[in-house]
Amino acid sequence: MRDESQPLPEPGQPDPSRRAFLKHSSALAALALTPPVALTAIDHSLDERLAAAFEQLPLQVRINGQAQQLSVEPRVTLLDLLREQLGLTGTKKGCDHGQCGACTVHVDGQRVNACLTLALTTEGREVTTIEGLGSEDKLHCMQEAFLRHDGFQCGYCTPGQIMSAVACVREGHADTPEQVREYMSGNICRCGAYANIVAAILDVKASGQKV
Amino acid sequence: MNPFSYARVTTPPAAVAARTQQPGSYFLAGGTNLVDLLKRGVVVPEKLVDITRLPLTAIEATPTGLRIGALAKNSTVADHELVRRQFPLLSQALNAGASAQLRNMATVGGNMLQRTRCAYFYDTSLPCNKRVPVQAGPDKGQPNGPTGCGALGGYNRMHAIFGADAGVAAPKCIAVHPSDMCVALAALEATVVVVGPKGERRIAFRDFHRLPGDNPRQDTTLGADELITAVEVPANELAAHSTYLKVRDRASYAFALVSVAAGLQLEGTTIRQARLAMGGVAHKPWRLFEAEQFLRGKPATLATFQQAATLAMKGAKGYGENDFKLTLAPNSLVEALTLATTPA
Amino acid sequence: MDINPKNQPVDRVDGRQKVTGSAKYFAEFALPRTAYCVIVGSTIARGTLDQLDTKRAAAAPGVLGVFTHLNMPAIPGWDAPVGGQADGPPPQPTAETYRILRGTKILFDGQPIAMVVADTFERATYAASLVKATYTRQTPKTDLNKHLAAAIAPSIPWMKDYSRGQAEAYKTAPVVLEADYVVPTEVHNPMEMHGILAQWTSPTSLLLYAKTQGVNATQRAMAQAFKLDPRNVKVHTEFMGGGFGMGLRTWPQETAVVAIARQLGRPVKLVMTRSQMFQLVGYRPHTRQTIRMGADATGKLVGLVHEATAETATYEDFTEGTVNMSKFLYACPSMQTRYRLVRLDRGVPIWMRGPGEATGAFALESAMDEMAHKLHLDPLEFRLRNYSETDPEHNRPYSSKNLREAYERGAAAIGWRNRPATPGSQREGEWLVGYGMSTGTFNAMRWQATVRVVLQADGSLLVQSAVTDIGPGTGTALTIIAHNVLGVPLDRIKVQYGDTSLPPAPTQGGSAIVSTVGSAVFDTCSAVKQTLVELATRPGAPLAGHQAEELALADGQLFVEAKLATQVAVAELLRQNQLASIDKTTESKGGPEQQKYSFYSYSVHFVRVRVNPRTGVVRVTKTVSVADSGRIISPKTAASQMIGGVAGGIGMALTEEAVLDHRFGRYVNNNLADYHVAVHADVPEIETITIDKPDYLLNPMGAKGMGEIALIGFAAAVANAVFNATGRRVRELPITLDKLLAVS
Repeated sequence: MRDESQPLPEPGQPDPSRRAFLKHSSALAALALTPPVALTAIDHSLDERLAAAFEQLPLQVRINGQAQQLSVEPRVTLLDLLREQLGLTGTKKGCDHGQCGACTVHVDGQRVNACLTLALTTEGREVTTIEGLGSEDKLHCMQEAFLRHDGFQCGYCTPGQIMSAVACVREGHADTPEQVREYMSGNICRCGAYANIVAAILDVKASGQKV
Repeated sequence: MNPFSYARVTTPPAAVAARTQQPGSYFLAGGTNLVDLLKRGVVVPEKLVDITRLPLTAIEATPTGLRIGALAKNSTVADHELVRRQFPLLSQALNAGASAQLRNMATVGGNMLQRTRCAYFYDTSLPCNKRVPVQAGPDKGQPNGPTGCGALGGYNRMHAIFGADAGVAAPKCIAVHPSDMCVALAALEATVVVVGPKGERRIAFRDFHRLPGDNPRQDTTLGADELITAVEVPANELAAHSTYLKVRDRASYAFALVSVAAGLQLEGTTIRQARLAMGGVAHKPWRLFEAEQFLRGKPATLATFQQAATLAMKGAKGYGENDFKLTLAPNSLVEALTLATTPA
Repeated sequence: MDINPKNQPVDRVDGRQKVTGSAKYFAEFALPRTAYCVIVGSTIARGTLDQLDTKRAAAAPGVLGVFTHLNMPAIPGWDAPVGGQADGPPPQPTAETYRILRGTKILFDGQPIAMVVADTFERATYAASLVKATYTRQTPKTDLNKHLAAAIAPSIPWMKDYSRGQAEAYKTAPVVLEADYVVPTEVHNPMEMHGILAQWTSPTSLLLYAKTQGVNATQRAMAQAFKLDPRNVKVHTEFMGGGFGMGLRTWPQETAVVAIARQLGRPVKLVMTRSQMFQLVGYRPHTRQTIRMGADATGKLVGLVHEATAETATYEDFTEGTVNMSKFLYACPSMQTRYRLVRLDRGVPIWMRGPGEATGAFALESAMDEMAHKLHLDPLEFRLRNYSETDPEHNRPYSSKNLREAYERGAAAIGWRNRPATPGSQREGEWLVGYGMSTGTFNAMRWQATVRVVLQADGSLLVQSAVTDIGPGTGTALTIIAHNVLGVPLDRIKVQYGDTSLPPAPTQGGSAIVSTVGSAVFDTCSAVKQTLVELATRPGAPLAGHQAEELALADGQLFVEAKLATQVAVAELLRQNQLASIDKTTESKGGPEQQKYSFYSYSVHFVRVRVNPRTGVVRVTKTVSVADSGRIISPKTAASQMIGGVAGGIGMALTEEAVLDHRFGRYVNNNLADYHVAVHADVPEIETITIDKPDYLLNPMGAKGMGEIALIGFAAAVANAVFNATGRRVRELPITLDKLLAVS
């Protein structure tokens, strides 16, 4: 292991052990997609950042109506891309394994779990997050209904609930309380605001507003 | 997740070729199971081959029934008019699975290849005979955690009561297949269409998933370089009396303790034909052939259902915490048959 | 006139931020150069760490440091206090010590053995997977059931055995019940994962975005750990994605992150995994209880013994009020309680919503139902026959108790008269139907807090308190209290909270925050009002000659109540006196009356269930919960707390159990797919009722706590309803279907 008396390398500075690692594992695995020049670059101990760049692939995706030209590692999930790289922190991480729904976003209009969506698979798609739904000054009718019915307490599952609720109505799965409960069961609320969430969704549905 | 490479393909042959060229690569479709396994370190791949752009999403009527593209989303299939009308069992089973979000992501092909939810499989520090060696990085070729079956003598509430000891002196794995959709497809006698380097191949659903036997690593009979392209469901006369009953620990968004796919064809109150399969009880969707045969020609009464349930339980065996399934499974079968024959 | 008339429902003051995603939780603050920390946990529960290979992790791309017991930076004042104030004393250290990343001894599953830091989340996570450990494994002791013989009496005065009246008089009664009840390990699982974002802003000052129920408690703990002036430790937790008790202490991994951030010279963020949420931030302890109860033929309790044995860690004794409510809820002349602990190879528990009282109520309120059945009495009638008019534990009056009214209103709302007298006799189609009820109670407390209130010349009001809001709507309640005292329109009041730069407040827990911080808001606003009155009634002032008692405030106007026309705008008053604002900061706490009375909140839960006789599946189809918790300050958010208690209660009753494989001492369902918290489909129509009668002995608003009682007792109501539906008594939670198979 690293000798603790040695100073840690400054970020961005080349570290021989790390280059060796790159060469032998991930970069090699990326062979099929990596121009030979990249491997040469790694071999010749160029800046690690250059090597890192070759671990990333281009991604073009529209997020909340804006075209984004990004560069991401294949293992980056849509959730972590949104939260850690794009500052779109309205989408929440509640479990990171598709077991809670806090990360629900729309991809091409369909609600999905962003935590199980590898970012690269959204190439060419349209992603909508809570930030794209409405703003504090101009709430979406579902956001208004959640506010009116107090469909939350701590607020952490709320963006996911709202994104899911909008989809639930659009899908035509909001006709009865039982149906809403079943089709919203992928969104866990530990504060237990379920009854108010169901009331908010049924309210929006009954109002006939465009969601 | 380990660093891996990524390739996007647009034709089935290219998909097969990409996988064939690089052992340790995986097809990525909906990702609902694979990405979870990557995060847990259960799968450590060299490469993911993104097949989500393949043109395999069609759902279409055929002269003999219905053909569903392997990349059709679970939600699309569940809500499809033809499926709802002709194969309500499939629609119900799909809607009983996971959540609306996951059903929007998960594909029919991926659902068939879903791995077990066994806790020991998912925790690479606990013993499991199902995990394969690490396929990438510095540990390549090394076992991915200790071997053995942790569930035997451990937490096996969710586990198998059928078929774990078939062909072996003692079970090596008591995991169950977690899919709902597959239980319905088993009852519906579907056919899986696959393509490999040597071309297309068709696999009867009952032969698609396998029992653990000596090789629990292998869930299916699909070749390592084969791609599922479609599933075909033959037309039947079961639509009017179909029930998918899922018994689980909470009302939704939970895996089955026991599920039953029951489809009956009735003539008056006489059973002309029965198709029965159970989930949550075996390493594969568990067809109840003997009970089906028994029910043929019998009156649709509680007494008949109970006799069928007794027959269905032949060979069942509990492993401790799942002993309750020896009662729950036959009761669930009776309940499902009752629901299937109760006018709505 | 009631100084606090019934309040109207208002929307949550922070609601817009929550529904738009603009509310920022700890992990969402962007600090330049933030590095990501990932914990590597032990895969054994007891033994020693032999070898730890961190070479490959350290060499992995982007890695900035791999911290282990061999190179962990020093934490100079390590012994951080717990900082919890919810329900009793903090966990007490034992002879064993646990200090994160210090030494090779493994005391529990998941104990951190390394913390890996890298420049991206993905790289840190991958590098963490490359850390390889070998252990000398010892057989872990994690099963409470197997080690009951090792139970000890905790050496905490608070938890001493209790007795009144003739010892074990229950034995002399004509009808006797003896039964064991089990509550399994349950885990808080707030939706937001735990962690911390730490930045050293100078060699002696620290900025923390934390997930804590008390910013001042975290501030004290970190100041002590790093020997800093507390004023140089800034802690921010404005929004917290649920706590339920897990944020009642500063956990060791938080302190470790702070130490690592200092070593690396850049901000470090830790967001734990969901699996680690089971291992590293406490849980409701697995508890076995025995109730021994005797009653006479008239349905009067003769004697009651309540014993509890709970799991704890080897390195800390965690205790909670499991047996407390038995001491005073019913009028019973003979009463004994005993509380024991078994030290196991487990991480330490922490209070979880309702805490020990929720565990205890399951036993006591199930037993009350069982005894009623033995006596052929309606369980509600049995409770009324043993109603305690005064506190039998302390021999003093209750400050207020409207439990009888709560029983009546709840019974009417659920349709208690439809309850079948004979278990298993009512059906709906093929499903069995049953009704159950229970009582809950929890201390109503008032602690100490300081609040600053600034009335601006433009008539707007600023209220400041460091208090954290874990979700119940603290900001909303404080806004309403300020509005009620000063008449400033709700939308002109801004409450700032959740930051140590604001006046100190206690940790949010124990259902005491509205009572404590709300009182401080009330008192400080009252001081502002007094200043206004003085300004307005001075000779020559607009309301000169009027007495303070005649004056009222509303809509930014100070007016003479009897003569509505005689008024002055608050803003005008400040202008006339050339004041930019009236700025008051006061400290507030309860008075001597707190010793003269017993203060409790009460809840009553009624549930209706359906049970499938073939599969044993239980569905709760209707619930009514009634709260007797004083004046309701914020009816809308109070109702949300109550429905939240019901959802939590359904989980506790039917589905929640954290399962260990005792061969390994390791969790096998530590994720949200396998640990079943209630989902939408589990939660039916819920009716909530508040008695809404003020208790001015506790505080000037007359408000008592709500958060705990919303859950306490609920699981027993479900168990009792299941018995009524099926005739099957389940004494071990959760009531999963296997316990009810073949009930027809």
